[in-house]
Amino acid sequence: MRRFQRKLCGLLVGLLLLTMLSPLIHATPLSIPVVYYKLPNGLRVVVSEDHNAPVVTVAVYYNVGFRIEPKERTGFAHLFEHMMFQGSANVKKFEHAKYVEANGGSLNGHTDFDYTNYFETMPSDRVELGLWLEADRMRSLDVTPENLKNQQNVVSEEVRVNVLNQPYGLFEWIDLWGNANQNYYNSHNGYGDLKDIEAATIEDVRAFFKTYYAPNNAVLTVVGDVDAGDVKKMVEKYFSNIPQQPQPARPDIAEPPQTKEKRVTEPDKLATVPALAVGYHAPAQNSPDFAPVVLLNLILQGDDSSRFYQRLIKEKELSLDLQGAVNIYGNEFDYFGPMIMTTRTTYKPGHTGDEIVKEMDAVLADIMQNGVTEKELADAKVRYRSNYYNQLESTFGKAHLLSTLALFRDAPNQINNALAPFEAVTRDQIKAVARKYYVPENRTVIDRVPEQKGDK
Amino acid sequence: MKRVEMKKLFRAIMPLIASLLIILPAAAQKMSPPGPGPARPVNLPKITEKKLANGLTVVMAPLPNVPKITALLTVRAGQATGREKHPGIAQIAAAVANEGTDTRTSKQLKEELRSIGGTLDLSTNQDATVMSASALSEFSPRMLELMSDVIQHPSFPDSELALSKSNTIEGIRAGRADPNFLANERFQKIIFGDHPYGFVVPDEKSINALTRDDLKQFAATYYAPNNSFLVVVGDFTPDKLFAEIQKAFNSWKSRELPSEPTVAAAPRAKRQIYFVNRPGSIQSTIYMGNVTIARKDKDYFAIRTADTIYGGSFYSRLTRNIREDKGYTYSPFSSSATMARSGYWVVGAAVRNEVTGPTLKEIFYEIDRMRSAPVTAEELDAAKAYSTGQFSVELASQAGLAGRINTVYLYDLPRDFISTFKPKIEALTTADIKMAATKYFDQSGFAVVIVGDYDKVKDQVATYGDVTLLDTEGNPITKTASK
Repeated sequence: MRRFQRKLCGLLVGLLLLTMLSPLIHATPLSIPVVYYKLPNGLRVVVSEDHNAPVVTVAVYYNVGFRIEPKERTGFAHLFEHMMFQGSANVKKFEHAKYVEANGGSLNGHTDFDYTNYFETMPSDRVELGLWLEADRMRSLDVTPENLKNQQNVVSEEVRVNVLNQPYGLFEWIDLWGNANQNYYNSHNGYGDLKDIEAATIEDVRAFFKTYYAPNNAVLTVVGDVDAGDVKKMVEKYFSNIPQQPQPARPDIAEPPQTKEKRVTEPDKLATVPALAVGYHAPAQNSPDFAPVVLLNLILQGDDSSRFYQRLIKEKELSLDLQGAVNIYGNEFDYFGPMIMTTRTTYKPGHTGDEIVKEMDAVLADIMQNGVTEKELADAKVRYRSNYYNQLESTFGKAHLLSTLALFRDAPNQINNALAPFEAVTRDQIKAVARKYYVPENRTVIDRVPEQKGDK
Repeated sequence: MKRVEMKKLFRAIMPLIASLLIILPAAAQKMSPPGPGPARPVNLPKITEKKLANGLTVVMAPLPNVPKITALLTVRAGQATGREKHPGIAQIAAAVANEGTDTRTSKQLKEELRSIGGTLDLSTNQDATVMSASALSEFSPRMLELMSDVIQHPSFPDSELALSKSNTIEGIRAGRADPNFLANERFQKIIFGDHPYGFVVPDEKSINALTRDDLKQFAATYYAPNNSFLVVVGDFTPDKLFAEIQKAFNSWKSRELPSEPTVAAAPRAKRQIYFVNRPGSIQSTIYMGNVTIARKDKDYFAIRTADTIYGGSFYSRLTRNIREDKGYTYSPFSSSATMARSGYWVVGAAVRNEVTGPTLKEIFYEIDRMRSAPVTAEELDAAKAYSTGQFSVELASQAGLAGRINTVYLYDLPRDFISTFKPKIEALTTADIKMAATKYFDQSGFAVVIVGDYDKVKDQVATYGDVTLLDTEGNPITKTASK
C-alpha cells in the first residue's frame, strides 16, 4: 500500500504540471466530462458538467479520516467534522445549514477511514454560494469552548444512538477491526470512546484544522448543471488565497501480516438474536489480486443468488440475513490503506457461529477446488457494472467517486474507465485469490451472542 | 491552531478586511454570501400514461441519467389487507412471492436477476404491496418478463413458505431489540388503534397459521391488473418500452375485486405516556404525535411546510434547540406522513437518560411556539426554498422520480401534482402555517411513546402525563413490578 503511494506520486508529478496550466478534458468509454486542475496553493479541483437536472453538488474531501487520528483521541476526526458546522469568519454557528437549506439545498458531512467530506446538493444557480461557504470554513474555521462542549455532547449522543444503545453496536466494524488489526491506526475505534471524545481540547481542534484542513490536503469537486468555465473563475476567487500548510509525515499505517486465525465470542447486552462477523485482510488496491477479489466477493455475497446467501440462508437455513463486501460500508475506491473484507450475518438462536463458519468454509473449499463457473463470472461482471452505474446516477454519487479518485489516485478521469480491470478478470484468477486470501490464518471471526438473562 | 496564528493568517490573506476589523463592530465585519446566478431551466419529467386492455395503468417517464431502468409495480393491497382472517398475510405473501413461480425456482429467479444486473423485491406499506425492480436498460424486456411472472404466477412453495415464516419470526424478534423499531411499532398501534394503519407486524401464532393455499388465494384475489399500476423510469424510449410492457403484461387477467371495510381514523383527544420498558437502555427513545390527514387533504402543503420549520429540516427549530443549543441529542426529527386514508405527525429524538425530562419540555415548548405565534417570513421563505429544491433533486434520480409518480397514483392526486408542486408551496402564507400547527400539532392529545429504562427516568416523565408501562411486546406491566 505504501509503495503504491510513492510510485503514484512519482508518476503524477508530471501530469500535475500539465493539468495546472491547462485543464484536461477526458472523453473515454463512459464519457463523463471531467475537468481537473490544481490551484497554486495545492487545492485539487474537479468539475464535471451534468445537465440532466438543475442541480449541483459541491463537495470538499479532506485527505484525513479517523484512521490516522491521534492516539488517545479516538473519535477525534469525527468530532472535528462536527466542528466544521460551528462557524467561520463570515458564517455564524450552524448558519451553514441555514444558508444551504434556505437556498433549496441539503448538506452533510461524513468521516471515513481515509477521508472526511462535506457536501451540499443545491439548485445549480446557487453553486457560488456553496463554493463561498466551503471556502470560508477552509480558510477561517472559528471554534469556541462553548461550541466544542456542545458538539462533544452531540457526538456522544451519536455514539450512544448508533453504538452503545443498539444491539450489535456496529461490531462488524468496530470490534472486527479492533481484533483483526495490530497497528493502532487500523485497530482503534473510529467512532471513539466517550472518554476520549470528552477529553478533546480546543487546541486539539485548532491544530488538526491547521494541518489537515489546508487546501493542499483537499479536493474540491463540483458536479452538475453548471458551466465549468464559470466555476473555475469562482473557485479562483474564493479558494486561491487560502494558504497552504506543510504536511507532516504520514504515520505508518501498514498492517503486519496475520499469521493465525482469531476467534472471539462477545456477549451482547441488548441483542435477542446472535450474529457473526468474519473478516479477511484484503489485497492492496493496486495489486493484480484486487479486481479478482472484488468479483469473488460478488460471487460469494453480492446478491440473493450468491454462494454464501444460498448456502447459509436457503440450503442450511442457518442465517436470517447476510451482507458483505470488500469494503462493507463504502466502495472499492473510497479508502487508502489496509482493508478488512467482511461478511456479517444474523443467525437463528439454537445454532452456533462455528456452524456458520463451517458452511462458509465449505463454499470456499469448493471454489478453491473447482473454481467458479463461466456464467457466475460473466454475471458478476454484469452485476459489478450495474452497481457501478448506481453510483453515477446522482450528482453526489459522481462527486463522491471523482473526489476519492482525485484524492487517492490523483486521477478523477478514471471514473470513465474504472470498469476495465474488472472486465478483464479470469476464472483462474478467482480461484487463485480464493486460495490466497480466504484461508483461516488470514481471518478474524466474532461471534456476537445475546447475554443470558441473569448474567448481569 | 493558536489564536495568534489564526489572526496572523487572516491578515496575510485579507489585509483589507483585517484592517477594517480594528475599527468596525463585530457585527459589521461579516461578508455577505453571494446571491444566486441566472435561473437554470427547469426540467420537468415527460410523463406518459397508458392503459392496457386488462386495466393495468402504465406510467412511463424517461430519465437517461445512467443506462438503467427502474420500475414500481404497485398493487392496492396494504400490510393490513386480509388481517380479519389472516393477520400478516399481505406481508408474508410479498416475502414469498419472489421465491418461486410456476416455471422458475427461487434460485433460478435470483440467477436471472443477476445476469441482467437486476433487483426485484416486494414489500408492503400501509396502502399497497409494491414490487420494485431495476436492471441495466439493455435488459428491460427480461426485467419486465420476470416482474410479470412473479406477480401472475407465484407458486408459494411449501418449503419457501416455511423458511419465510421462521425467518420473519426471528426477524421480528431481532427487531424488538432495537429501540427505534419498538418506538415506531408502539406509536403506530396506539394512534391508529383498529384502523388498518395500526397494523404493524403480525404475531407468531398468525404467521405460523398461514398456509400455501391462503397465500395463493390472496394473490389470486388482489394481485390483479385492474388493482395495480406500473411506473417505469429510466433510459428508454416510451414507444419501444410500451411494446415490451404489453408483451409482458397482456396475459395478466383482470378480475372482480373485493371491497375492503373502511374504518375511520381520528386524532386522539388525551395526552398519555406509553413507556416501553427496556432495562439497560442508556438513552430514552422518544416518539410522539397524533393522527392528521390523508395526502389528498387540502392542508397537505401547509402541514408539510409547518413540519419543515418545526423539525423536518436540519436548520429547524427543534434541531437548533435540543441539538445545537442544548446538546441533548444527535438526531432530533419530526415528520409529516400522509397516505391514502389517513396520516400522522411524529416528533422524535434519542437522548441520554439524564435529559429525558428536559427534552420533553423543549419539544413541547417548540410546539407551543409554532401554535401561538406565526413563523417569520424568513423562516417560511427558507422552508419553501428547501421543499422545492429537494423536490427537484428527488426528480433527478430514477428511484426518486418513480417514487414521486407512484404517490400521484397511489393517493389519487391530481395528475399535474409534479408540475404544480412549486406554485402550491410558494402560495403558502404564515397564516397557513399557523393554522396547520394549531390544528395538527395539538399536543394535548398526543401519544407520547418512550422506549428506555423506566426505573432510571420515571421521575422525569411523570409530570408530562399518565404513564402506561409496557413490555417490549406491548403487554401492560405494573409499575411496581418493573424492578
